Amino acid sequence: MSDETSVEPAARGDRIAGAVLVVLALGAWWHAQSFVAGFMQPVGPGVFPQLVSVPLGLLALYLMIRPGINHRWPSGASLCRQLGVLLVLGTYAAFIEPWGFVPTTLVTAVLLLRLFGANWRQALPYGVLLGVSLYLLFEFALGIPLPDMPGLGV
Amino acid sequence: MSTQLTKIIPRLGASALLGLGLVVSLPSQALPIDECIAPAAPGGGWDFTCRSVGKLMRELELVEDSVQVTNMPGGVGAVAFSNVASKRPDDSNLIVATSTVGVTQIAQGRYPDGADAMRWLAMLGTDVGVILVDDDSPYETLDQLLNDIVEEPSSVAMAGSSGAGGWDHIRALRLAKAAGLPGDQIGAMRWVQFDGGGPAVTQMMGGHVDAVSTDLGEIAGFIESGDVRVLAVLSEEPLPEPFEELPTAVAQGYDVTGYNWRGFYTGGEVSDDDYNAMVDTLKSLYDSEEWKEVAAQNGLVPLWRGGEEFSDFVRQSIEDVEDISREIGVIQ
Amino acid sequence: MDVLDFLVHGFAVALQPQHLLLAMAGCIIGTLIGALPGLGPVNGVALLIPLAFNFGLEPTAALILLVSVYYGCMYGGRISSIVLNIPGDEPAMMTTLDGYPMAQAGRGGEALGLSAVASFVGAIIATIGLTLFAPLLVKVAIRFGPAEYFALFVLAFATIGGVTSGSFTKSFIAAALGLLLGTVGIDPATSVARYTFGWYELYDGIDYIVALVGLFAVSECLLFLERDPDQATASLKVGSAVPGMRRAIACAPTIGRGSIIGFISGVLPGAGASLGSFLAYVLEKRWWGTRGRFGTGDPRGVAAPEAGNNAAAGGALIPMLSLGIPGSGTTAILLALLLSMNITPGPLLFEQQPDMVWGLVAALFIGNLMLLVLNIPLVGLFAKMLQAPAWFLMPMVTLVAFVGIFSLNNSAFDLYMMLAFGVLGYLLRKLDIPTVPVVLGLLLGGQMEFNLRRAMSISGGDWSILWSSGITIGIYAFAVSLLLAGLAYAMVIKKRLE
Repeated sequence: MSDETSVEPAARGDRIAGAVLVVLALGAWWHAQSFVAGFMQPVGPGVFPQLVSVPLGLLALYLMIRPGINHRWPSGASLCRQLGVLLVLGTYAAFIEPWGFVPTTLVTAVLLLRLFGANWRQALPYGVLLGVSLYLLFEFALGIPLPDMPGLGV
Repeated sequence: MSTQLTKIIPRLGASALLGLGLVVSLPSQALPIDECIAPAAPGGGWDFTCRSVGKLMRELELVEDSVQVTNMPGGVGAVAFSNVASKRPDDSNLIVATSTVGVTQIAQGRYPDGADAMRWLAMLGTDVGVILVDDDSPYETLDQLLNDIVEEPSSVAMAGSSGAGGWDHIRALRLAKAAGLPGDQIGAMRWVQFDGGGPAVTQMMGGHVDAVSTDLGEIAGFIESGDVRVLAVLSEEPLPEPFEELPTAVAQGYDVTGYNWRGFYTGGEVSDDDYNAMVDTLKSLYDSEEWKEVAAQNGLVPLWRGGEEFSDFVRQSIEDVEDISREIGVIQ
Repeated sequence: MDVLDFLVHGFAVALQPQHLLLAMAGCIIGTLIGALPGLGPVNGVALLIPLAFNFGLEPTAALILLVSVYYGCMYGGRISSIVLNIPGDEPAMMTTLDGYPMAQAGRGGEALGLSAVASFVGAIIATIGLTLFAPLLVKVAIRFGPAEYFALFVLAFATIGGVTSGSFTKSFIAAALGLLLGTVGIDPATSVARYTFGWYELYDGIDYIVALVGLFAVSECLLFLERDPDQATASLKVGSAVPGMRRAIACAPTIGRGSIIGFISGVLPGAGASLGSFLAYVLEKRWWGTRGRFGTGDPRGVAAPEAGNNAAAGGALIPMLSLGIPGSGTTAILLALLLSMNITPGPLLFEQQPDMVWGLVAALFIGNLMLLVLNIPLVGLFAKMLQAPAWFLMPMVTLVAFVGIFSLNNSAFDLYMMLAFGVLGYLLRKLDIPTVPVVLGLLLGGQMEFNLRRAMSISGGDWSILWSSGITIGIYAFAVSLLLAGLAYAMVIKKRLE
């Protein structure tokens, strides 16, 4: 389903993932024991999570022992841009409510365009265009109220 | 793509949404109610309460704009309760639908906080419990059903829209107790929870459960179509038309009633002025002929308690349900 | 012949010019909403309800508008699936598996055209089924009790190994992870908070739309950043929709099978459109076995789930109208709409409100025909959109997804959740673990669990209820044979590779 053509038999990724999932399954199983069964419940709230965590743990263990193929992990430069995008989007999520939709979206749009390879002369006008169209689309065309800037009606 | 969208939709949307935009952009003051949270998925009693009341308030011009209904299902109202308590305790535009079912949850400590976390506005009417079986069930009368339960509690699988220990279940258990089921046998009865009264009744029609205990309003259509047989309604007096033929449990010798009132609360930090204004709005709605009609169509009996009277009533109900729950063993 | 009389009358109602205009508006608005990641039929219909009220539309007109939006959204959902590998909503998820590879090979227009025809046929078959067999199907559907539903979900998860061409182990891991994530939140039966760690935002569980958009859209965006910038800006060829419509004739048997499977899952309340498209895809893949190229751009991999999901959407109207039970998120919204118009769906609806019911059925026919015709200009429009440079296209998609998710609950928490699922989706895709089973687990896990617990409540704790009826035994036998066929198929592939 992915666009990666380069596939490598990198066992390490699968082994780490398997280990993480085994821990997750064990944690889920253990935590599910604390879910108290309710009044007159033959099958309490903990049974299903436990039923699911058993195959998850076993399959993850199998993955550790017999790892499959992975796609190539990103290079340093790509990784930086990915972290940059995540950081921008995370900051956007944090500021959209206190600062209002319009300013945060404009800043985010310009920064995202930059991170995706636009130069400043492209990023500024198109970022503003994108931010404003989103505002018009959601606030007016779809009628979904978006957070306003503090003290202002927009 | 977005520019294309903005060209096409505004012609349809703008006029409708302009009004909403205006309300949103006004400074906050004692605005009319503009949102009703139904703490359940569409189709059930709470959803009906919000939708019918919201629509009527608009039609009677008690509010300026349409009342938006937000469905917020989860935890039998716990999700909506905690959302309002933590995020919108002072939102005087918001009402939340609730009922005996919600208050039962509070009484059993299943909400994150007690009744004092909210301000209780009013109840507008009450639904009544019914005990149903399929139309080709071997049970012809309430006596036959209860006799079987008393003789062999595990022989009957009953279903309803609340969980074990919830209001639908409590009503069924009180009947079983009235018929002489000893307290230590209650755990042997079988109770199955479905997503609402409608699903419970269809599962009964499919033969998967034997009897259903739920509210009349939600499943009135199945009674009218003759798909189910009503063994008992849990009201003191026989119901008004078109349900006047249905036998009450009281008339059959079991002194059990079980109503389910429908009402609203709002956040606990709403000011007294706003609170009183909201109660007044609901009172005007209650006094209208239109509400009486809507209520009757949906098997509700109009009944008013508002403001402080309602708050006291809710606290009293919580105490009562706590006692019953302890007696039955739902809580220790 | 009552039914036909009513239907003719229904068409007369639906063909009034004002209704036709509404249907057309609904189709266009729906397609555009559906194409936005994060906004699907549920939001589309919910957004338009106030509009219908504000225009003071009478019930039939409002219903025609909203049904057109419903189907328009279903249609729009597949456009972003095929073109961007980002499903607009959950039933369109299966279409990414072969639709996106087709688009990458420059056959996007063909995939869009083919999916339009497949959807049309699926919807029409479902509508015919609704017209002719609604009362009969209701009788069959109520035979499905908790144990039977549980078996149905077991069937879905037993076949999950066949979803993608990746390894069986990894598919099942993804499904188990999804099921586990699906248990997060307040347990409705006991009000116990499970895996919420004190966050009240998690009380209502993980919203699968948030997870879906994170897993597909955000991870797609992260993967995109790794591409060679020169290659990334080269715009994709989309082509015309017309060859796809011709291709549909060759895929007719596939479309037929997909429609029937989808319709059946739609009729069962609690199964719904997602299960319909999923089962249609998996069973079609099994049908062709090693003769298909599923997962790498096989047109049948587009035709089957599209026919399935639209047939399921039509089928879901049956329990909604005749029992008042919504089988899916969207039918729940339609039900809410009917209720607020003082129309109570239930066993008497077909007798008491024949105008409304048959007008609705006619609206379904007309809306689908309209979407089929609209498809040709719309493919051109989306082709143009794709010629936008990647540095504009990807941020736009990301932001639309962001705002779309934010607008669901006005909650910043949902956004963090979406980012977390984005990172998860990225890691899974790097590890070659399919993401589709995670969403399926989340979507179906709740119903699977509650039906298990209901069955156990009915039996009083006796597990044998799970395999005590003919229907359940049949479903399990089918699941086992599919599982074995899948394993055999995987072994053949492995041999070939060696």
